Amino acid sequence: MTAPQPSFEEAQAELERIVERLERGDAPLDEAISLWQRGEELYRLCLAKLDGAQGRIDELSREGLPPE
Amino acid sequence: MGAPAEQERKVYTVGAFNRGVARRLADLPTVWVEGEVTELRRHDNWAGVFLTLKDPETGACLPATMPRRSFDALALELADGDRVQCFGRPELFEPRGQLRMRILTIERAGLGAHLARLEALKRRLAAEGVFAAERKRPLPRLPRRIALVTGSDAAAKGDIVTAIRLRFPPARVLVAETAVQGPRAAAGIVATLEAVCGAPDVDVVIVARGGGSFEDLLPFSDEALVRAIAGCPVPIVSAVGHEQDTPLCDLAADVRASTPTAAARLVVPDVTELHERLARSRAALERGARRALERDGTRLERLHERLRRAPALLVERRRAAVERTGGRLVALSPRATLERGYAIVRRGEAILRDAAVLAPADLVEIELARGAFAARVEEASP
Repeated sequence: MTAPQPSFEEAQAELERIVERLERGDAPLDEAISLWQRGEELYRLCLAKLDGAQGRIDELSREGLPPE
Repeated sequence: MGAPAEQERKVYTVGAFNRGVARRLADLPTVWVEGEVTELRRHDNWAGVFLTLKDPETGACLPATMPRRSFDALALELADGDRVQCFGRPELFEPRGQLRMRILTIERAGLGAHLARLEALKRRLAAEGVFAAERKRPLPRLPRRIALVTGSDAAAKGDIVTAIRLRFPPARVLVAETAVQGPRAAAGIVATLEAVCGAPDVDVVIVARGGGSFEDLLPFSDEALVRAIAGCPVPIVSAVGHEQDTPLCDLAADVRASTPTAAARLVVPDVTELHERLARSRAALERGARRALERDGTRLERLHERLRRAPALLVERRRAAVERTGGRLVALSPRATLERGYAIVRRGEAILRDAAVLAPADLVEIELARGAFAARVEEASP
């Protein structure tokens, strides 16, 4: 069972935490590699949310609302 | 044929005449009279307040009076020139034969009435904490869906939607049109607000209307609407007021926006900025990963170096240890003792330590540091 997709903000926050960790430079090599992989994954996810999502304008149906 | 003779007339005293007229006047019903307040006179120790109502068009005047306590209770803060509507009845002030109005209650009239009522409502709601800063909620940074409650005029609706889509193209907007002026506007806006808050995914609402006069904006200061906005389950932006007017809904909302662009800026992030930030993160990610690889590569190199030199190092250390032992050995050997001038004396194989075993004419061998010789014992002393 896969975990629910993080929101854009959550993904971006996690990506920036990973960057900080790598820049600190204290992660052992195999951890650095897996961090980088996760970072790439999050980057692609964020990009998809910005570019892939379609903007939509809807009108509220007037059912149930008082007549004007 | 002429006035009746003096003895035959009905003649009233002034007091009786006034009383009669007063009684007739008392039959007249209570009425509302609108006019301007002039000559307002009030003193703490007077039982009544006096003023003269003036018809601004004709200049006609009507003296009026009201019990001071009732007047004070209204707390209208009236001043000369204020336009008011007074409810009361005509009366004759008998001692003077003066027509005046006995006022039961006063209300402000015209624009002033609205303004004063709004001020009072504003004070009351503020005291309840409806406008308190602590109640304001932050707007979501990236809303799933934005609801827009607005009138049908292009300015509010079109401008806001355009501004949002320009700033953040993937935005989802739910537009709900409703009457924004007129007597039923406020109730309609409240119902529409409820409807959009119940729609799926809506996590921020904008209430907007285009420009208008003070009267046009009155529905947005309606008490029920203001309370509905303050109690809205979803964070709400009010884009109703302008520089001049601040309808009460502006104070009750979580944020207010004075232009459509400002509203868009509040509810959605700039997609270009987001892209740039992502690109920067990605570049930093690569740099960080590469640095980790390089650093580990260097470490590996150094370890390798040490490993290569290790055997030679080992031998070097062993040799030093051996040399040290050798040194001690040399110090402990008999050679050193002989060098110091001692001699080793043997009789046959045995090394001699005790002169008592020697007899004269015994043959002994003497070893020196360099060389050896044989000798016969002459005399031995223990």
